[in-house]
Amino acid sequence: MGTTASQLAKDSLSEYQELTFLTKQEILLAHRRFTELLDRDERNHPNPRVPMEVILTLPELKSNPFKTRICQVFSTSEDKDGSLTFEDFLDLLSAFSDSATLEIKSHYAFRIFDFDDDGTLDYGDLEKLVNCLTGETEDTRLTSEEMRQLISNILDESDIDKDGTVNLSEFQHVISRSPDFVSSFKIVL
Amino acid sequence: MALSKNRLVVSCPTEEQNLIKELVALSTTEQIRKIRELPVSFEEKKHVSRSNLIRRFGYSIKSVSQSLQLWRGIMKEIGGKFGSSVLNYFVLLKWLLLFNIFSFLVNFGFITIPLLVSDLSPNVSPNVSFRGLELLTGAGYFNYTVMYYGSYSNETFRGLVDYDMQLAYFFTISVYMVLCGLVLIFSMASSFKKNYALADAASNSAWQLLCSWDFSITNEKAVNQRKNNLRIQLKESLSEKAHRERQTTSEQLKQYGIYFGSWLLSTGLAVGCGASVFYLCQYEDEVRKSTYCCRNPEAETLLVPFVVSLMNMVIPLFFSLFNKFEQYSSQRKQIYALLFRNVLLRISILGVLCYYWMNTVPQKFTCWEPMVGQALYRLVIVDFIFLMLGSLFGEFLSNVIGTKIQPRLGVPEFDVARNVLEIIYAQTLAWIGIYFSPLLPVIQILKFFILFYLKKVSLTHNCQPPRRSGRAAQMKTIFIFLLFIPFFAGALSIVAYTAWSLTPSEHCGPFRGLNNTFSVIGEWIDDVNKLSSTQWVVWIYQNVIRSEIFYFLITLIILVLIYIFWQLIQGRKELIVLLRKQIVNEGKDKSFLLEKLVKCNDSSHASQTESRGRGKESEDLSSGAKRGFSRLQRSHPGHVGPATGPE
Repeated sequence: MGTTASQLAKDSLSEYQELTFLTKQEILLAHRRFTELLDRDERNHPNPRVPMEVILTLPELKSNPFKTRICQVFSTSEDKDGSLTFEDFLDLLSAFSDSATLEIKSHYAFRIFDFDDDGTLDYGDLEKLVNCLTGETEDTRLTSEEMRQLISNILDESDIDKDGTVNLSEFQHVISRSPDFVSSFKIVL
Repeated sequence: MALSKNRLVVSCPTEEQNLIKELVALSTTEQIRKIRELPVSFEEKKHVSRSNLIRRFGYSIKSVSQSLQLWRGIMKEIGGKFGSSVLNYFVLLKWLLLFNIFSFLVNFGFITIPLLVSDLSPNVSPNVSFRGLELLTGAGYFNYTVMYYGSYSNETFRGLVDYDMQLAYFFTISVYMVLCGLVLIFSMASSFKKNYALADAASNSAWQLLCSWDFSITNEKAVNQRKNNLRIQLKESLSEKAHRERQTTSEQLKQYGIYFGSWLLSTGLAVGCGASVFYLCQYEDEVRKSTYCCRNPEAETLLVPFVVSLMNMVIPLFFSLFNKFEQYSSQRKQIYALLFRNVLLRISILGVLCYYWMNTVPQKFTCWEPMVGQALYRLVIVDFIFLMLGSLFGEFLSNVIGTKIQPRLGVPEFDVARNVLEIIYAQTLAWIGIYFSPLLPVIQILKFFILFYLKKVSLTHNCQPPRRSGRAAQMKTIFIFLLFIPFFAGALSIVAYTAWSLTPSEHCGPFRGLNNTFSVIGEWIDDVNKLSSTQWVVWIYQNVIRSEIFYFLITLIILVLIYIFWQLIQGRKELIVLLRKQIVNEGKDKSFLLEKLVKCNDSSHASQTESRGRGKESEDLSSGAKRGFSRLQRSHPGHVGPATGPE
């Protein structure tokens, strides 16, 4: 069920309402913003797919340090190139919405932080995560000694089965002790 | 380690594993769709569609309520630019505004409208007209309107129904206070459960900092600043452990000396302010009594509120100064110490004022409740003026100083704690004042409305986003706790003391002629007693509400329950320690078994290439490998992500 022209069909609207955490206004707003990203000829396409570079021009995603990872996680394309259809876009907004549950948010946060997509957060993933959040340039990175100590602190705290990586359960356990997570893992259009 | 695990996954996959992996790889939308596509009977589908109808109705209600939400666009903009700790201030302001709107509706509907509708409305004495000064002082013309307690009658309005004004006044005020209290208790409890009870003491840990990255910030500059500050915070958390061991004894002694000194000074300041307010009230009283006063008697009533608000604005600056000299071990303790001192100051000033009102005012005036109402009105108005001035000085001037005169200071941050305390104090004044002046919430509604827009403009023009991230949720819990325990409980006890112990004034107000306000209930029960159908109400009143045994028993039961729950918590803590040890052991088991399986697999592959046929030996080995692997899957379900749908 794709989008036809610039109007959302009523039954697809109610279906989206049932399958996501978004309200009717939020879905309509998302539809409007999504069609603004399309070219004229793409708008008549039954199920348009927007490439990642165009998605990243949205102001809500433009300055986000995890913008590429977010697009890659929610993309359903076979080439894994981060392009999003309208339903992927709704999925994204649903996971980041106000009413999404802690399980959904922590599940997607885990996948976003898992830079190599292997199902666990190992040393490389954590290092990339810290670099993403502290700065990319040479003078803003942490030194390698500080990085090593920081990651060993992180693993001490969250690696319960002591296998050197953080799996989904351990991640969700850490998240459940962080009350700020639910309110900060939010993107609203 | 990971490599060997992957090899095993490839070599012996199960069917369930395939389905789970496939579902996890799909988006949530397609998950639900796929599950729904499972073959089920028509009955099931009808049941599903019917429950969907209910859900759809719920969605439409939710979207309507969302469109009615006040200020939603502004809050989103503030949250996007400044983060959730600043947003907490505005959320609290909106919440308190809703309290006042509810109070106004209830008071106006149940108390004022019946009075206006009946012929019992107060008549203004002919030689008093409206001058502009009433807006500030609340006396004069306003004294004769429905603004204050004194204008309400104590008669029973006989019309379509018998409407007892006394009972209406009493019940409206008390039901509103009780409802407020319940709402505060519930929100405090739920906030405490979510934000405080689940967080460990290690709230400065690296994971907390990383996981609380605010995804809703859209401003490029704010994002870069947050990144900078996060880096600084991470470095601080790394070096904090080293720093803590390095303090010598003499340094520690000096530290304690500084703590003691600043606490002594702060308490002294707070007590001093309270005492000076008391003497000021007495001085004002003497001036009013002596004949010398008549220069401008009404303007002089503004002296006390002016001094009180001035103290509330200036003394916290001293507290911040003390705070700069002290060095607390964590930033959280620093904020708590500052908050505690500010709360102490305001409570002592309010306490002194209430003591003066409860003890001295009833003896001096015949119609004393409206006097207290007027004093509160003046406090509210002057507080509003000072809040606006404070915004001017606190934010606008700091911005000018920080950018043009002394660029080293930089653009100021929005001081959330100070602003929240100011609105909590303002709301306390309104809560105390509701009994004495039922329409005071109107002033409060206007005040908060204007304050919202004023603060929003000041914030966007003068302030920068806060440098330190995180801990917004804990601060929200602390604010709700502060709202409830010292301030609301204090206001409630003042009103309760007034209703219980003080004699209402003889000639005005709805409770005139009674010994105390609570005897209204006694008289009502006597009336109810006359009808035999409502004897159970009388029984409840006499044996439950008035008997001490009942409260004693309830308290005892609650204490026993608390003790039981406390022991349960201790038991659970020990269980958590045991379970953690068990998880570590399971991890060791897992690695041991994986190594063994890898060895088995290698040897089975080697034997296959050698013998070129599936012997019983390799079959045994591969089935053993499958069994072992399924055991691992059962003990570590976390490795395959949970396929939870949106619910």
